[in-house]
Amino acid sequence: MSPGLLAQSLVLGILTGGMYALMAAGLTLIFGVMKVINVAHAAIIVMGAYLSLTLFRHLGIDPLLSVLLLIPVFLALGALIQWSVVNRLAERDITLTVLMTFGFAIILEGLQGAIWTSSYQGIKTGYSLESFQLFTLYIPVVRLISAGISLLLLAGLYALLTFTKLGRAIRATIQNRTAAQLVGVDVRLVTTVSFAIGIAIAGAAGPLLGMLFTFYPATHWLWIGKLLAIVVLGGLGSLRGAFVAAMLLGIAEQVTSVTLALGWAPMIFYVFLFGVLVVRPQGLFGAVERQSL
Amino acid sequence: MLLQLEGVIAGYGSGSDILRGVDLSLDSGAFTCLIGPNGAGKSTLLRTISGLLRPRQGRILFRGRDIGGRRPDLLFRDGIAHVPQGRSSFAQMTVWENVLMGAYSLADQRQVDQGLTQAAELFPIIREQRHKAAGLLSGGEQKQVEIARAMVRQPTLLLLDEPTLGLEPRAARVVVEKMRMLNQLGTTLLLVEQNARMGLSAAKWGCIMELGTIKLQGMGDQLLNDPQVKRLYLGQAAESA
Repeated sequence: MSPGLLAQSLVLGILTGGMYALMAAGLTLIFGVMKVINVAHAAIIVMGAYLSLTLFRHLGIDPLLSVLLLIPVFLALGALIQWSVVNRLAERDITLTVLMTFGFAIILEGLQGAIWTSSYQGIKTGYSLESFQLFTLYIPVVRLISAGISLLLLAGLYALLTFTKLGRAIRATIQNRTAAQLVGVDVRLVTTVSFAIGIAIAGAAGPLLGMLFTFYPATHWLWIGKLLAIVVLGGLGSLRGAFVAAMLLGIAEQVTSVTLALGWAPMIFYVFLFGVLVVRPQGLFGAVERQSL
Repeated sequence: MLLQLEGVIAGYGSGSDILRGVDLSLDSGAFTCLIGPNGAGKSTLLRTISGLLRPRQGRILFRGRDIGGRRPDLLFRDGIAHVPQGRSSFAQMTVWENVLMGAYSLADQRQVDQGLTQAAELFPIIREQRHKAAGLLSGGEQKQVEIARAMVRQPTLLLLDEPTLGLEPRAARVVVEKMRMLNQLGTTLLLVEQNARMGLSAAKWGCIMELGTIKLQGMGDQLLNDPQVKRLYLGQAAESA
């Protein structure tokens, strides 16, 4: 492969990886706080894509603006789901939640089919096909924008977790739930807020997905596999890990699609995932599970 | 009376009772040590007092108010702090962030600063190692951070579950010294200690638990010299220590 082609696929890989990172961030956050694997995560992202599509077609709202509009909507939706269903189940038997989120994914898929039919969709704006030349590199505008927005949102999430009191409480709850309770943290409230944030990020990723990829109600099954692989590779519950893993997947896909064929990309990634897990079962950045009380 | 337990029965999930009718009173300013064999229910008793476990029967009165079934985060705000057994620091957070978590429930910044200053006076280590991840500290240092974290809000009652477990003797002595100091400053302490000799000599009052009840209690040094206690509990402790 020529250096130019390699540079080109690296750049495209990083731009795509940024969006993967945003899509996986909520999943790993929810797992970290609740130990719940949200199988419906990708279905929620696709829901965000459909809502953005409708806002664009009927009200002319640009998908980039709908990113902002969808955040509060999904924040409220997430809090409602957590408080009404997930919390109750998680307290009784955590394994039930996988089944529950699986069911929830199917419900969302059915709902999307009923409202938007099962045909292929894409959000095509005036700048969808634009691109520019940077030295020898070809940069599609939409990819650059979606990567930029993803990084902004991730930076916001990082700042929230690192520098705010709520963020400290979320991290404390992830690291030791009992100890967090014992220093006055209302862990149920923190859990609800974290779940809501995770769902809000998923909703915000929807319009970006809709601009870059075609989607239909069942697409979320293709995505959830990828997202789970990212989260596992990065280390369950680790935001930094998910970011690195998402970049690796993005780059691996681009490089293999140029050198071999697009079809090889997932395989290369899963082989890499398998290799890492053999050496580090906790993933790249995962903490070894400590025996709690 | 600061804390009073009357016929407290408790256990986990749908399992059998671990506590089988515990009666216990703590005066304000007391330093009481609970000893007894493994499985006697010592940790379970602390967990029930701090709200991690809901009592099945009986009453727990804290300052005259029944607190049975109250959430642990609210009880911490009421003045009951619990440092559980083993490592309970937030391992990937810095030492200072750990201690800040102890002030989580304080809204008034002045109180936060005051609590942090006081904790740092008692436990200088939290300033010295402030930027280090708590998980990287030695066992004894981590225990100090955990106790400092519990003390930021200046609790009335501090529950300590085997704070010297697994510590090398010198680190254990530091922790015992800190406990004495906290007690002298007015904190009521309820200590669970596997090392009966160390616990009873540090504390003023001792309780011996067996099979989920308090079997015997008395002044710490009296229990230390009691021939039956010596034979049953201290001999064993001396061997395992």
